[in-house]
Amino acid sequence: MKKLAQEGYEPIDTLIKPNTNNPWTVKEKLLLGLSPQDYMKQLLRNPFNWFLAVVYAVGIPLLLGRFFFGLGWATHGSYDYPWGLFLGWGLFVMVPLSASGFMLGTTVELFGRKDFKPIERLGLLNGLLGYFFAVVFLEVDLGQPWRLVYPMFVSLGPAAVLFLVAWHVATYLTVQIAELVPATSELMGWVKPKKFVKSIVLGLTVAGIILSTLHQGALGSLFTYAPHKLHPLWISTAFQWILFFCSSIFGGLSMLIVVSALTKWFMSWRCDDNFLKNLDRITIGLGKGCSMALITYLVLKITAIAHDNEWSYLLDGWGMWFFFEMIVGTLIPLAFFTMAIRTDRAGLARFAAMFAVFGIALNRMNTVLITYNWEMYQDIPHWREFCIAIMVYFTYIVVYRAVLYRIPIVYTWRGERK
Amino acid sequence: MKKLNRRNFIKGSLAGGLAAAATGKATKADAAGGTFGGYPDSMGVLVDMTKCIGCRTCEAACNVEQGLPEPDIPFDDYSFFDQHGHGGEKPRTTEKAYTVVNRYEVEGRESPFFRKVQCNHCQEPGCLTSCFVNAYTKTPEGAVIYNPKVCVGCRTCMIACPFYIPAYSFSSAINPIIKKCIMCYDTRLKFGRPPACVEACPQGVMTFGKRKDLVAQAHTKIEESGGKYIDHVYGEKEVGGTSWMYISDVPFEEIGFNMHVGNAPIISYVKDFLAMVPMVLIIWPALFTGFHLLATRKAKTDESNKA
Amino acid sequence: MGFKKGKIIGLAAILAMAVPLSLPMTVGGQVLELNRLSSLYEGVSFDHDMHIEATSENCTTCHHHTAGTPPEDPNCIPCHMNSGEAESPLCSDCHAAEPFSAANLEKSYNTPRLHHKAKPGLKAVYHLNCLTCHKEVGAPDGCVDCHAMTDKGEKFYRTGKYAPAPGKASGHH
Repeated sequence: MKKLAQEGYEPIDTLIKPNTNNPWTVKEKLLLGLSPQDYMKQLLRNPFNWFLAVVYAVGIPLLLGRFFFGLGWATHGSYDYPWGLFLGWGLFVMVPLSASGFMLGTTVELFGRKDFKPIERLGLLNGLLGYFFAVVFLEVDLGQPWRLVYPMFVSLGPAAVLFLVAWHVATYLTVQIAELVPATSELMGWVKPKKFVKSIVLGLTVAGIILSTLHQGALGSLFTYAPHKLHPLWISTAFQWILFFCSSIFGGLSMLIVVSALTKWFMSWRCDDNFLKNLDRITIGLGKGCSMALITYLVLKITAIAHDNEWSYLLDGWGMWFFFEMIVGTLIPLAFFTMAIRTDRAGLARFAAMFAVFGIALNRMNTVLITYNWEMYQDIPHWREFCIAIMVYFTYIVVYRAVLYRIPIVYTWRGERK
Repeated sequence: MKKLNRRNFIKGSLAGGLAAAATGKATKADAAGGTFGGYPDSMGVLVDMTKCIGCRTCEAACNVEQGLPEPDIPFDDYSFFDQHGHGGEKPRTTEKAYTVVNRYEVEGRESPFFRKVQCNHCQEPGCLTSCFVNAYTKTPEGAVIYNPKVCVGCRTCMIACPFYIPAYSFSSAINPIIKKCIMCYDTRLKFGRPPACVEACPQGVMTFGKRKDLVAQAHTKIEESGGKYIDHVYGEKEVGGTSWMYISDVPFEEIGFNMHVGNAPIISYVKDFLAMVPMVLIIWPALFTGFHLLATRKAKTDESNKA
Repeated sequence: MGFKKGKIIGLAAILAMAVPLSLPMTVGGQVLELNRLSSLYEGVSFDHDMHIEATSENCTTCHHHTAGTPPEDPNCIPCHMNSGEAESPLCSDCHAAEPFSAANLEKSYNTPRLHHKAKPGLKAVYHLNCLTCHKEVGAPDGCVDCHAMTDKGEKFYRTGKYAPAPGKASGHH
């Protein structure tokens, strides 16, 4: 696309074709205003697509195998480690990294910080896609999709933590879809849906905060069912929900910083000036949020250790691993964010955000897999499980890219119908 | 079938989902959480582990009674004890075997020590607490049973079980669900009969009876043994008490028992969060709408000044 | 379990020869058929005379106090020191074939001060009595050393002609 842009290609951002009176057709919108031949050409020219082809060549047969032969074929089928990569990565890592949706909604709509408007939609989209693919991962893990609605309508276990997660993720997905209706409406030229969502945006945003607080916390609280199985440094029954919630704040914001940077680097043709020119300033702003959440998280984590009097656990190998997680995932991003804010360097904030994203991923993997059964043995997931997880994650990236190419997320729609 | 009272409380309070009126009930429910202590006349099994000779007859009986699939090796093949699962662990309960016998070589003991593993049927089961489709039931007879028709296969109960008992049918592509010992509830316990394994045991390792009687019996036995038994009835108090209890002449930690599970039922670790849920549901809307009004007051003032 | 068959026969022969004629035998023959519970296994041919000899005529070894000799277990002595001989010394007279039958459970619930509440069932006492001792003295202690498995037993244990096809003993991959 970069090459096309250099050649004078202009991406669609209006309902009517330039210099004519004809509206863009849906097909043309989907093909980015290119002819099918040109569209194929740009697809094949991009080396990333070739890489994707390899991922799918390996992943799709394995995914089919998982559904034909059962989960025991694709994974170790371990009774001791009931949750593997599909849930460990797909649910427990994807969800906190998608907290940006409610964070940005709150910042812009609720606190009235219109200066973050240029990135609000990217934040919302990051949230929606993250949650959506968390559900996809869940489905890859569980199979039998017809039973996904059981906790909702067939047999209710409302006293269970997972009940909250199920309901909240489902309702929150709906909220996020609603929040992105305006962007889709602009592309499609709809008028009423956008107006309607605008009228209820405050309600949606508050619902978003409630649902996020609870399900981010609930994901942590799921492990309070197994206080004896996790290493004590990773489980604090009293603090688990707030630790998960608090870390999801900088997790979501850092992911947004990373995604916006990638968009800027690899998709600048699609971004408008409003996005590109404001991005550095916004990145620093998001960094401020991250640093506050990081320091809060750090103090909470120390408090949790003090609360359960777990200092002695810090001294052995597990303790070292804990220090590694805390230094790389919390202290380093905290230091870099602080420096970035003080010296106003967006690049450094982006660097810090990468550490923070890694830190969240490591923390969640530590909780779900690595320190789980710490007194028992370590389970390294089956290679098929890795391949399928990687493929699903790349599908997330593909969908992400496809949406950014088309729907007005990082560019402003011109000539909107009133 | 009657469910745990606490469960009905919480169900009543949270079924409304977002209903604000629920707080009062939820608080009561949580106060009740962790103090249930079991049905008064529930049945149990006392396992005198000193008697077990590792003949695996209980495993065979379970297989027949529950109509389980063919085992990998015959039940009189004792190479089973040398099998190792993941991470070198001894055989554990699986989707094909709801009970297994483990062998332990105990130092200073001539013959090996055997331990039968199956669901302990907790008084306040972690699996039941964690199940979001309410598949599990603790029956007044003492069994922890489940409804396979509603199981989604989320495996949270496997996470929540302190004894690593529930097994997921990983081999099924169409309908993978949780499977575990139900104390032969459907075919025996319901009619007042002991589980198949208890009846099949040639050594009388297991005594079936009212749980409270068994607790007394266990202590009498320990007392009368003149120091032969370890002075501990495993399961009397662990995780809120279990319907299956064990006495042994070898320290429990040497024969694979988890001595870190504590006496508090699993629900007691989770209920703080559950109590927090209605608070967030009720307080957040007003709190954040308030923040919104505060944060946008300047814009509002500017507007009205202009007007 | 490692016990040579020839050895058993030899031992039995020696013991048989040494049996004096003046034993306080109240049972008819020398060899009893213990087959009341036989199902998965055939009955046991129990050589009573041989065991009298093997226990040096100490009936208490197997019969607690019921054969008339004073009990040895300190927990039994307070009540049964002078109990004397029971009407019948048969295991099955005290130990129920179905210890957890509705009637037995009912009795245990409704009799608060019932003694011997934890009395094992008949199958259990056979094994506890015989097998424990067999293990101690090095007598045969494998299941089929004493009683052959029936067809029903083979089906139950999934062994013999009902054994699972070999080669699929995998469990996990």
